[in-house]
Amino acid sequence: MSTGCDRSFEEALLTGYLDGMLTQGDRQRVAVHLEDCQICRRTVEQMRELREATMTTRFATPPDDQWNEAPRGAASRLSFGLGWLVLVVWVVGVTGFALGQLWSSPESLIEKLLVFGGVSGVVLLFLSVLIDRLKTMSSDRYRGVEK
Amino acid sequence: MNSPAARAVLSYVNAAMAIEAPLAATASESELVAQARAGAAPAREELARRHRESAYLLGLHLTGNREDALDVAQDALLRFFGALDRFDERRPVRPYLLRIVRNRVADLWRSRRVRRAESLDDADLSRQIADQRPGPEETARQAELRRRVWQALSRLPAAKREILVLRDFHDLAYAEIARVLDIPIGTVMSRLHAARRALRELLAGDAPAAGGGG
Repeated sequence: MSTGCDRSFEEALLTGYLDGMLTQGDRQRVAVHLEDCQICRRTVEQMRELREATMTTRFATPPDDQWNEAPRGAASRLSFGLGWLVLVVWVVGVTGFALGQLWSSPESLIEKLLVFGGVSGVVLLFLSVLIDRLKTMSSDRYRGVEK
Repeated sequence: MNSPAARAVLSYVNAAMAIEAPLAATASESELVAQARAGAAPAREELARRHRESAYLLGLHLTGNREDALDVAQDALLRFFGALDRFDERRPVRPYLLRIVRNRVADLWRSRRVRRAESLDDADLSRQIADQRPGPEETARQAELRRRVWQALSRLPAAKREILVLRDFHDLAYAEIARVLDIPIGTVMSRLHAARRALRELLAGDAPAAGGGG
């Protein structure tokens, strides 16, 4: 039995050996070395003990009533999408109609410009948010999650 | 009840129940995924029930905070179901979901301007252990070692902590770890070994008999 470690392989193989993730050749190489090396045997034993301690720990988890991830069914998602579509069409229609009415009304030009200016500001802000969201969608990190 | 209309209604109900029937807790994961993709709500609920605890615990191990962990886990589940069409049902759900959890935690840190490399010094994971009293089958030393290990894990940098918990707590294979962390499978073993060494060094510098004496 040697007193110093003279292994001829990377130390990381000890981790692979512990986890049972080595090829047969590497496993044999490590096993032969461990028979003779007290230092590496001790390293593997320590890692095994820490792994056991980690693996057997139990953590408190939230009770059932705290979970509200309730995934939506197809019908719910469809009605949600349709709901938004109808709402957007309604908002655009009503706003367009109101603006049309205002433009053809006998109000002064300044009043009309004030209203049009305000509405244009809101529309521009909405568009900037929409463009940002669309840009984000194209680089969405979750799109690449394991296809 | 024998009218053609009643028979039609009954046959429709029976057909609907036949669709729901295999969604019991015994259904395989790929069956559940296929049915969830087809819109079966019970299949989605069963998938969520099976995997939400893992998602929560990885969230807890990465954030150190129960509220953040629950938020991250719930959000990850919603994203998982939202991306179900892109998911290959032949693959296991857990690594896929845990990868989403990890990405959500990264988003959370980014939104709070916290550097991901930081340890959880303020949040000691050993305080989250369910029952810290030693059970009848274990010695006080084992319970104490467990407490110290999680205390040390909280102090490790995030990259080392996450690979350690994915292997040693969540029991993922190297290929699954590579998928969760988005790294080549060839680097998993060396990174894991570096993390284990860092954990041993922390425990050794810390206390009387770290990890059985070293």
